[in-house]
Amino acid sequence: MAKTETDLLDDAQLEAFFEAGREEVPELSDSFMAALLQDAAQVQPQAHAFAPKRAARPFWKELVAQIGGWPALAGMATATVAGVWIGFAAPDQLETLSGGVLLAGDYASVDTIYDVQDFAPNYFGTDLLIEEEG
Amino acid sequence: MALDAYAAATDEALLTLYGNGDPSAAQILTTRLAPRVLGYASRLLGGDRAEAEDVTQEAMLRLWKQAPEWRRGEAKISTWLYTVTTNLCTDRLRKRRSVDIDAIEEPADGKPSAVDGLIQADRATALQDALNTLPERQRVAVALRHLEGATNPEIADILEISVEAVESLTARGKKALAMALAGRRKELGYGED
Repeated sequence: MAKTETDLLDDAQLEAFFEAGREEVPELSDSFMAALLQDAAQVQPQAHAFAPKRAARPFWKELVAQIGGWPALAGMATATVAGVWIGFAAPDQLETLSGGVLLAGDYASVDTIYDVQDFAPNYFGTDLLIEEEG
Repeated sequence: MALDAYAAATDEALLTLYGNGDPSAAQILTTRLAPRVLGYASRLLGGDRAEAEDVTQEAMLRLWKQAPEWRRGEAKISTWLYTVTTNLCTDRLRKRRSVDIDAIEEPADGKPSAVDGLIQADRATALQDALNTLPERQRVAVALRHLEGATNPEIADILEISVEAVESLTARGKKALAMALAGRRKELGYGED
């Protein structure tokens, strides 16, 4: 017998079937779940692949960094050049400033200009020492 | 535990975590998505569980491979998965048709009434039998709309057709289902008055 429109299920009846279908969610077996997770692990990008690589630095760069970088190195270079220059040029001003101690060519004359007492405090004078000896 | 914190995360966020190498994300996503994919594939493939598992495994693998290139907001992961699953099932159905055209099950219409007042599982089985009688695209549209809860625009994306065409497909599919199930109305607990 051919079906007519009245033979059809109405929406509510059909919905009952859909509801039954929606409730029928298959459970994954343990072995199938394990297979899925194994696939996932196999193709998963590794975390370290995204971490920025630490570039190996040459020894001299490491040394400069330890000293304090290029500014510190420039300061040291300036001091070195200044030292060499002072050594060669022996400027008169330095002799004046140091009172002839540092750069006097004739070191014997230093004794004639300055006595030891000139560098020692007066209260620590030789008189005291002589009295003790006596 | 981290799994609890992840339970509230969206599928997209979890896929991003997976792409960044997080080991827990895959487990949560699989638990969340794989049963739905398996159920959907099983419906399209006429209830063949083994074949549906193959399709699910392939679809999930494609999702994992897609993870590094996944762009946020591009598509919902569920929609993407349904698209992949639909295509995989369609391929298998085509191969199946070309191999053995007689393997298609006859509609269950007219089977003798087994017991009075069938339980939900029997209704689900009856629905599956009726779905098997529908043309492929109607089956896909009805399953997505009424069983997977997809919206018409989402189905339009999956099938690459217009929303109007989706509405037409689901309407025809529902009518055919109503026809197929009408013969089992009494058996399934609906009096024929």
